[in-house]
Amino acid sequence: MAVDSRSRTSRRTIVQMVVVGTLASIIGVLWGLYIDWFPVQGSTQARKIDDLWDLMIAFAVPVFVLVVTVVLFAVKEFRMRPGEENLDGPNIHGSTKLEIVWTTIPAVIIFILIGYAATILSDIEAAPANAAQELKVDVYGQQFAWTFKYTGADGKPINTTRLYLPEGQSVKFNVHSKDVIHDFWIPAMRMKIDAVPGVTTSYRITPIRVGSYPVVCAELCGLGHAVMRQTAYVMPPAKFNAWLASKSASAAAPAAGGGGSAAAAPAAIDAKAIFTKGNGESVACGSCHQLAAAGTPAGGIGPDLDKVLAGKDAAFIKTSIVDPQAEIAKGYPPNVMPPNFGQTLKPAEIDALVQYLVKSTRK
Amino acid sequence: MPAAVRHAGWTRATTFTVLGIAFSYALSLGARAGLGYDPVLDGEAVLQISLVTVPFFFLVGLGLFDYWGYYMSGRPTRPEDHSGHGAKSWKSYLYPNTDHKVIGIQYTVLSFFFLFVGGLFAMLIRAELAQPGRQFIDANTYNGVFSVHASILIFLFIIPVFAGLANFVLPLMIGAPDMAFPRLNALSFWLLPIAGVMMLGSFFAPGGSFASGWTAYAPLSDSAPIGQVFFTIGVQFAGASSIATALNFLVTIITMRAPGMSFFRMPLLVWANFSTSLLVVIATPFVAASQFFVLLDRALGFNFFDHGQGGDVLMYQHVFWFYSHPAVYIMMLPGFGIISEVLAVKSRKPIFGYRMMAFSLLAIVALGFTVWAHHMFVSGMQNWIRVPMMITTAIIAVPTGIKIFSWLATLWRGVLRLDTPMLFALGFLTMFTLGGISGVMLAMIPITIHVSDTYFIVAHIHYVLFGGSLFTIFAGVYYWFPKMTGRMYDERLGKLHFWLTFIFFNATFAPMHLIGLDGMPRRVADYADKYAGWNLAISLASFGLGLSTLIFAYNIIASWRGGPRAVGNPWRGLTLEWQVSSPPPVFNFDAIPTVVGGPYEYGVPGAVHGVFADQPPPVVAAGAPAAKTPTDE
Amino acid sequence: MEAAAIHAEHAHHHGPPEANRSSRVEPQLLGMLLFIISEVMVFGAFFTAYFFIRVVNGDQWFPFNGDELPKLVAGVNTAILLSSSLTLHWAQTSAKNGNRFGLKAGMLTTFLLGFTFLFIQINEYIHIGFAPHDHAQGSIFYGLTGLHGEHVFIGLTLLAIVTVRAFRGHFTPEHHGGVEIPGIYWHFVDVMWIVVYTTIYIV
Ligand code: HEA
Ligand code: HEA
Ligand code: HEC
Ligand code: CUA
Ligand SMILES: [Cu+2]
Repeated sequence: MAVDSRSRTSRRTIVQMVVVGTLASIIGVLWGLYIDWFPVQGSTQARKIDDLWDLMIAFAVPVFVLVVTVVLFAVKEFRMRPGEENLDGPNIHGSTKLEIVWTTIPAVIIFILIGYAATILSDIEAAPANAAQELKVDVYGQQFAWTFKYTGADGKPINTTRLYLPEGQSVKFNVHSKDVIHDFWIPAMRMKIDAVPGVTTSYRITPIRVGSYPVVCAELCGLGHAVMRQTAYVMPPAKFNAWLASKSASAAAPAAGGGGSAAAAPAAIDAKAIFTKGNGESVACGSCHQLAAAGTPAGGIGPDLDKVLAGKDAAFIKTSIVDPQAEIAKGYPPNVMPPNFGQTLKPAEIDALVQYLVKSTRK
Repeated sequence: MPAAVRHAGWTRATTFTVLGIAFSYALSLGARAGLGYDPVLDGEAVLQISLVTVPFFFLVGLGLFDYWGYYMSGRPTRPEDHSGHGAKSWKSYLYPNTDHKVIGIQYTVLSFFFLFVGGLFAMLIRAELAQPGRQFIDANTYNGVFSVHASILIFLFIIPVFAGLANFVLPLMIGAPDMAFPRLNALSFWLLPIAGVMMLGSFFAPGGSFASGWTAYAPLSDSAPIGQVFFTIGVQFAGASSIATALNFLVTIITMRAPGMSFFRMPLLVWANFSTSLLVVIATPFVAASQFFVLLDRALGFNFFDHGQGGDVLMYQHVFWFYSHPAVYIMMLPGFGIISEVLAVKSRKPIFGYRMMAFSLLAIVALGFTVWAHHMFVSGMQNWIRVPMMITTAIIAVPTGIKIFSWLATLWRGVLRLDTPMLFALGFLTMFTLGGISGVMLAMIPITIHVSDTYFIVAHIHYVLFGGSLFTIFAGVYYWFPKMTGRMYDERLGKLHFWLTFIFFNATFAPMHLIGLDGMPRRVADYADKYAGWNLAISLASFGLGLSTLIFAYNIIASWRGGPRAVGNPWRGLTLEWQVSSPPPVFNFDAIPTVVGGPYEYGVPGAVHGVFADQPPPVVAAGAPAAKTPTDE
Repeated sequence: MEAAAIHAEHAHHHGPPEANRSSRVEPQLLGMLLFIISEVMVFGAFFTAYFFIRVVNGDQWFPFNGDELPKLVAGVNTAILLSSSLTLHWAQTSAKNGNRFGLKAGMLTTFLLGFTFLFIQINEYIHIGFAPHDHAQGSIFYGLTGLHGEHVFIGLTLLAIVTVRAFRGHFTPEHHGGVEIPGIYWHFVDVMWIVVYTTIYIV
């Protein structure tokens, strides 16, 4: 009778299933460890977090494989075959032993993971041994740009919109917000924290790789959330210190130094490039504004400059850039256009940009 | 007054709605003039007042308060003549009705309408994200679209559709003639279209729809354009609806079970709705309050979230998640119930470890209240809260694991019928496990620090909500379709629907894990070029997913209209809803059945769950001749 | 199995079968208790706001910024509200014992006491000297007392209905659920006030 053949299959099935499941788990885990899931490892924190991920893979894959294997084998062995339309399964109500097993094992796994995660958490947040040497950077989130404040050698603050970091040195970010909630995230460093109005939040990283990395706002903060991107530059400590010193020296000068060691030659300012890409410190105008001459598409965040600037004079445009709140374009919300172009663009660049806009919007 | 205006119905509802708008104008003008505000006519003030008051005018007009009106004024109440019971034609579904079966269908159909609306928004999201840069919609519209997508699908699809299915089958399952408070039940339903109209209507507000996500974090929502208020107030109606339904379920389950139906003889669907209702009654007031705060801040200048005035920004998130984490179990536990019904019947075996299944539901309810801050690991809240919340969050995997493993054991050695409901149930088992595992990864703080607010979260959301909740809903709809409509659905189309959905679902959402880990943030209309390849693939797959849903729609509509008649018990189920005709008689039972055994005694020849006084014990147990094949009428 | 046939014969049946009562608790009572749980949670959320501002933020509480809370007036008001619970109890026992005068008089006094409470509360708002938009403390004060006031208003509406029905001769010693259940709500409103009063004015 069908019932007998069914109950006999199940022991052999279990053996088969264990073999298949184990193989699939091993392959799955190896594959999971092999895949390059993350962006480059830019900090010591990134290494630790990636390790935790590997441990998660080692447990997660077998659990998933277990469930899938049992389902597939059950389907293979126990699906209803022709002639079994009226057959019922055995009237089994449960098994305390099994229930204990499948309560205990997940609990053990969970506690291993929690234990390891808690250790990693305290590692990645631990202060460095020589706390005095830690670089401290104040990060200000504001719709829709980040500003970074360093303390110069002379104790005076230095504000930039480019994030410079020394390689191999612990850096602590104190994160603030001037309006709504933002989130300060450098994917390559793996760390993020919200910028909360009224609260100072913080985290620390130790960069380990020279290079440039995106800085991303990871908390929905309004219209320009998607364009609230900047760049972090990790440089050898000597170079970083030189930059800091140069900034401190020139802090008094109104034409505060631009992009790092980039040539500060005032000669040829490419206004179009500033419009479409930014000067390295400033956010690109084109990420919000449509302008036919620059070929930037309609983003819908800021007004179409071809339209609204037609017939406007240079003074108006300049004010609009340096102090966007002075007059709000009709139909657009206030506090969207970043108010910091006066700092991130050099006066010469602003003038060039104004001329460029006057020229390209004149009919 | 013409009769149409005097008697409850759509004419009166329309008239009252107009009155309500007039009233809102008057109230606003009066108040502003009285308090000396300038200008006296303020469109936003009128709008906010209308959003609160007009729905009540509408409901009164439609007749939902008539009975209570008579009662309250001390006038004689007409004794219930039950003329409202049952649906006479499809038109009956357009009017308030107190029959739980009619309400169940109203709920389910309306919710599915919102699935398609919300899904259409998803198609728009994917179209925009198919390539970097701007395709179709600007940043503001994009933010609005995903906010409405999520709000519609959560508040107007998943939560109410479970309430709808349970509304139909739960009273039948426990042997009750109706819900405990039928008029309240009707009211709960009619609050939903109001919430839906508000959320969709927000697109017509000046400044666009609400665009701060379904989470509506303050202070962004405090300062957003007026469209935000449509969410703030819409959620109140959806929330009031779920509280009222939950209360109804709890009272029905506690006081109206058939004789012999002890708690441990209840089908697990009843247990699941019992647990869910507890969650709803306790947690939902918090989301209502969080939105009250926003509304007070916006409309009356309160400072709950203005830190400059001493307000606390993070308080919003604590209050919001104290509801919205339990809400994710509100969106999952009823599904667990459906799966238990389907698996037991379709594998012809009792649920393995029935008691632990019931207890694990209660354990999830209890734990669910202790984990809210796992959504706030990177929010800048007090650091010490994190590790305790990580522990409680991860522990939820244990009761959930008990359920998964018990279902697997239920399958083992059963006789599995691999028809559409069963396929969706098996799809649920695997896909929800994947989503749950990514949830456990998210519980690990160092991982969350990296992946919070990325597409990894979006992947988790859809694995648990689509692969979890929606798969159980599909399973449930196919499973009870014969009972609800009296017709059989088309099995071939059902299977096709399953396979296409299963494949495209994975093709759509699995790659999101990758791009999320690789650093793509969520809630952005534009992204770095390096994610372009995957996003295009995801978008294409998602259109396939959308199309696969159309098969479902076609199958349901065509079968409802012209499918073969269904017999009372096509699946040979033991629970009470299968012992009556399909669709069930107007009053469910002639006499309340007596329950004499467990709900899942498959494998015991001649076993019954309930006996009917006027009827010999039904012959549905093993060995009985197969139910008539669906095709012969 | 095919129950339809059997059911069709019973077309003359004009109502649903009487539901089985599987619990000793009255459905209406249980419904009201569950509703009160929900209400308690709404207050809980507002108390969370209070907790965050006063405890987590450690902001100063009244007297603050030159603003003070009229503890004494509110104390008298508390006494008024509490005595309304007593008169309500009197009305309820009267209803049970078939004492129509007690029922009517009790309901009327309860209603008037509740109304006085609300009146004094509004008067307090007018004279208190700060507004909800002045500071978060003000927001919380108005938020919590306003939420409670709204509940008093709902409670009063229920009481008004009961009073009207009492005067119209409804309620018998056998059927007085219509007095009992709104009564529970009113008692809840009173108890809630004690909590609000203690946390806002006293502590
Ligand atoms: C149906 C809805 C649903 C369900 C059931 C879940 C279930 C779970 N969720 Fe999920 N979650 C959401 C819906 C849901 N979630 C949504 C919508 C969000 C985003 C909100 C937003 O920001 O918009 C979210 C976000 C979210 C976060 C926040 C991420 C962030 O924003 O930074 C976290 C963090 O801990 C989390 C964790 C979990 C966990 C641990 C579970 C657990 O309950 C899962 C338990 C299940 C299993 C683990 C699988 C089965 C178990 C076994 C097979 C046993 C063996 C297993 C192991 C040993 C691991 N979820
Ligand atoms: C139950 C809940 C649910 C469901 C079912 C879905 C279904 C889908 N979701 Fe959604 N989603 C959420 C809940 C849900 N989502 C939540 C809570 C968020 C977070 C929002 C936030 O951040 O605030 C989110 C966010 C979200 C995002 C991230 C947006 C962002 O962060 O920028 C994306 C992106 O791809 C997405 C896609 C999809 C897709 C492709 C589907 C598909 O499954 C949809 C399938 C389509 C249909 C069912 C429609 C039926 C088809 C038609 C009507 C016609 C077919 C037409 C064509 C093929 C053109 N969702
Ligand atoms: C994050 C988005 C964003 C960026 C980046 C941005 N703007 Fe704007 N801009 C806006 C918005 C929104 C407005 C309309 C509201 C206002 O007037 O402040 C605006 C307004 C303007 C106006 C005034 C138009 C009018 O008619 O009043 C000018 C000129 C302008 N921007 C130029 C620029 C230039 C030049 C840059 C780059 C150096 C730039 N914007 C960068 C969003 C942006
Ligand atoms: Cu700032 Cu998003
Ligand atoms: Cu959660």
